[in-house]
Amino acid sequence: MKKLTLLATAAIFGAMAMSAQAADKLTLQLKWVTQAQFAGYYVAKDKGFYKDADLEVTIKPGGPDVAPSQVIAGGGADVVIDWMPAALATREKGVPLVNISQVFAKSGMMLTCRKDMGVKTANDFKGKTLGVWFFGNEYPFLSWMDTLGFSTSGSNPDITVLKQGFNVDPILQKQAACVSTMTYNEYWQVLDAGLTPEELTVFKYEEQGVATLEDGLYVMEDSLKDDAMVDKLSRFVAASLKGWEYAVANPDEAADIVLENDATGAQTEKHQRRMMREIAKLVGTNKVGRLDEAAYQRTVDILMSGKSDVVIAKKPEGAYTQMIWERAQN
Amino acid sequence: MTDQQTGTKPSHWGRLYNGQILPVVTVILAIIVIWYAGAVYMNSERLIDGYERSKTDWEFSDLVEDSWSMERPILPAPQQIIEELDNTIIDKKITSKRSLVFHAWITLSSTLLGFAFGTLLGIVLAVGIVHVKTLDRSLMPWVIASQTIPILAIAPMIIVVLGHLGLTGLVPKAIISMYLCFFPITIGMVKGLRSPDILQLDLMKTYSASNNDVFWKLRIPASIPYLFTSLKVAVAISLVGAIVAELPTGAVQGLGARLLAGSYYGQTIQIWSALVVASVLGMVLVWAVGIAEKLTLRRMGGQS
Amino acid sequence: MAGRYDPVLIIFMGFSLVSFWFPVGHDGNDSVTWWFDIRAGALVAASVLIAGIQLYFRVTNLTFALFVTLALILGVMAPLLAIDTLRTDGYEAIGLWIYVAGLGFLAWRAMAMLSKAAEFNRLISFAVPALFGLWLLYLWQVVTTGFGVPSVLLPSPGQIGDAIAANGETLYADFYQTVIKSVLSGFVFGCGSGFLVAILVDRIPFMQRGLLPLGSLVSAVPIVGIAPIMVMWFGFDWESKAAVIVVMTFFPMLINTLAGLQATGKIEKDLMRSYAAGYWQTLFFVRLPNALPFIFNALKINSTLAMIGAIVAEFFGTPIVGMGFRISTEVGRMNVDIVWATIAVAAVVGSVFYGLLALFEKRLTFWHASYRRAR
Repeated sequence: MKKLTLLATAAIFGAMAMSAQAADKLTLQLKWVTQAQFAGYYVAKDKGFYKDADLEVTIKPGGPDVAPSQVIAGGGADVVIDWMPAALATREKGVPLVNISQVFAKSGMMLTCRKDMGVKTANDFKGKTLGVWFFGNEYPFLSWMDTLGFSTSGSNPDITVLKQGFNVDPILQKQAACVSTMTYNEYWQVLDAGLTPEELTVFKYEEQGVATLEDGLYVMEDSLKDDAMVDKLSRFVAASLKGWEYAVANPDEAADIVLENDATGAQTEKHQRRMMREIAKLVGTNKVGRLDEAAYQRTVDILMSGKSDVVIAKKPEGAYTQMIWERAQN
Repeated sequence: MTDQQTGTKPSHWGRLYNGQILPVVTVILAIIVIWYAGAVYMNSERLIDGYERSKTDWEFSDLVEDSWSMERPILPAPQQIIEELDNTIIDKKITSKRSLVFHAWITLSSTLLGFAFGTLLGIVLAVGIVHVKTLDRSLMPWVIASQTIPILAIAPMIIVVLGHLGLTGLVPKAIISMYLCFFPITIGMVKGLRSPDILQLDLMKTYSASNNDVFWKLRIPASIPYLFTSLKVAVAISLVGAIVAELPTGAVQGLGARLLAGSYYGQTIQIWSALVVASVLGMVLVWAVGIAEKLTLRRMGGQS
Repeated sequence: MAGRYDPVLIIFMGFSLVSFWFPVGHDGNDSVTWWFDIRAGALVAASVLIAGIQLYFRVTNLTFALFVTLALILGVMAPLLAIDTLRTDGYEAIGLWIYVAGLGFLAWRAMAMLSKAAEFNRLISFAVPALFGLWLLYLWQVVTTGFGVPSVLLPSPGQIGDAIAANGETLYADFYQTVIKSVLSGFVFGCGSGFLVAILVDRIPFMQRGLLPLGSLVSAVPIVGIAPIMVMWFGFDWESKAAVIVVMTFFPMLINTLAGLQATGKIEKDLMRSYAAGYWQTLFFVRLPNALPFIFNALKINSTLAMIGAIVAEFFGTPIVGMGFRISTEVGRMNVDIVWATIAVAAVVGSVFYGLLALFEKRLTFWHASYRRAR
């Protein structure tokens, strides 16, 4: 019995000593697979920026069937990367996500179309088949079609929508006139497959005035009530932004770091280096990581303007906070 | 086999014809021929499109040659897949993330764990169903109904929910593969445990054997052949389950992750080589269960 | 049973009586017991009382089985009432969870008594599995609502039911796209071609020896690998899903039919020969009927494969309708209740499909050994 008590005390003291030395643990859930889209976080991890901030960050890659908001609701992560439309829709569903930092100031989403299938302007969409990603990424597209006045559902829609897989095959095989692409990823896959920029018509959401905010960092509302957690989050944001600044300044090195972290071994150097350069254009230049209220307002307006498919019904309250970013500055 | 050729002395040719090797080789050859032709047929449209857009003159022989060596073919030619396999199995270090051996090992570990879970669950359920009347009546329909739930489709959610309960890593993957593979084992075992006929059961009664004795000395031995037959089915299924379960865990490692990653980037050759490795792995597993079956039956008195 | 007191009922009564001393939830600031609401207390008391009566009489006929079932029905109401009005998570409701655990024993006893009675009554034999299923649903409901599991993780059966009621039209459109278009065509084509090839190959043993090893290779191919390839080949609509199903169902049918055709013994064949019957007559009148159990076995396996195949294949590119499409997109939109509603439809369709095949099998192969009275 005595021995047992001794053991127990030793164990408790051991555990306390451990926790005193150990860095704060934090789990980050990505929105997609490991690629240069998330270079900043991998750089911060590999270059020791997180460690300097006394953090031990676990980065979980996502994928087509991983809903970051579901993961955070299930307690599988402390911070998730998500697009604002999906995050706001989730918030309305009763999972109180809050934006703590908006890394991408611009949207990288676009619709890439073949000229030889008769798409030269946005009015040519009528009667065509368009590839769209779903899983929360369809909201910007649906809002845009609404503003153009095209119906996408019903018995006889103006536009036939395909749920596109993860690659650009539909446009290569002429199964669709247009496919959704990101400036930094799928667009280059179309070019790699042998189509040339001259043969394509490109509609950037930014230029169409229907862009919604993309990769941002989100946490559950509860974490902001806890002072220790707020401190941890602001250290995390500061280190991550440092990682982003480094990645933007050294794109090739950042791409190589991403490749080392890719456990699937499926990524290529050529593609990742190119992606990193495109991603650099999306990360803002001044006040990197600070959510621009005007852009937030525009996102909300676009999402609420939908006539057919309302993404969010009521104005979100408290869906973002600048507090973490402010604290991360000092 | 049906009617053997009788009467005549088997010649060399006849022995070959009636053996296993020649037919299999013939079928494989036929498939390879069809495959090469199919590759030309499937890939030609995109190639011709390319020729016309770049205004090059082309002969049919160019088309054939190009369609067997595209970077992202719709249907890769066999030698492209073999090249890729050679690249990712022989040339890479086994510990490398680009080695298919490494990915196959990741998949195999969750397959085997899931298979072990599934076998245990399947046998326990079968014993319960055979021995407890209430279970027989209440559980059996639900065992069947459980398989109509498209677990593969909700695997991502299952992983998240299990993560909520604190299960991460290998276990959730194994649970999904268990869910798929316990079913054939339960069905097979129930059949097997009920296979002894009235005469044998009566004989046991005349020896005044207890229920326990009947179970261990009659029902269990009688069920072994049935068990192995369903284990062969189950092991292939549990591999599929493990592969699917890899998709939502962030598709990091394993054959499933390779399949998916190939699919993201339109790397068809990568998809096909992962497929080939998965099928071969499945065959090896089935074969291993077959070997275990032979050994067990031999030890039990050679009733194969 | 007679002569001994029923231990299962004693356990139930013990659990229930203990639960009276513990809190069953939080109302405002204070823990309350079963008597927070006179109805809840009365229901619990009634269930214990009936169990006590059964314990005393120890009769196990149908009337008493229904009597115990009544106790169960009364008993399950009380926790639902409590969860509806109180906070019931964690240690604040230990009494409630003790009682629910006790109800499990009562449910077990009710099912056991019903299955005894079921031997003389066809209708009751359906009641046993139904009761079991309802009990599982009840547990799911009580645990998800009682512990406040977020509905984006796992909605309660009640919420799923509401989602089915509210989205009938969408669910029907998905059902039509996936089941009527993809599954049926793929299933008919896959099983049909597997069957015909088996009949052809049966005449050429050479081909048989070549094809069978290939069958085991193809059955080990994971469907998730085939699906994207088929979408690439056959486009986005139902044709690619049907193609996946054909690939999945062809070999089980081929292998089972071949095994079935070889199930006919020498004696029967000799008999047919003595009747001077030709190959085709022997095939139609003896060998195919003998193969029916094997063929049905394949059909049943394939029915579940086809459903799952179609749904998973829809993850890799579809028009914006279909069950797989619904499941994969609504997860992303956090409408997990609609996801489960679709799963419920899939499970019901799959069970009905399987049930119909089993019914046909019974009609056509009533002579087979496996339908003799189970021991």
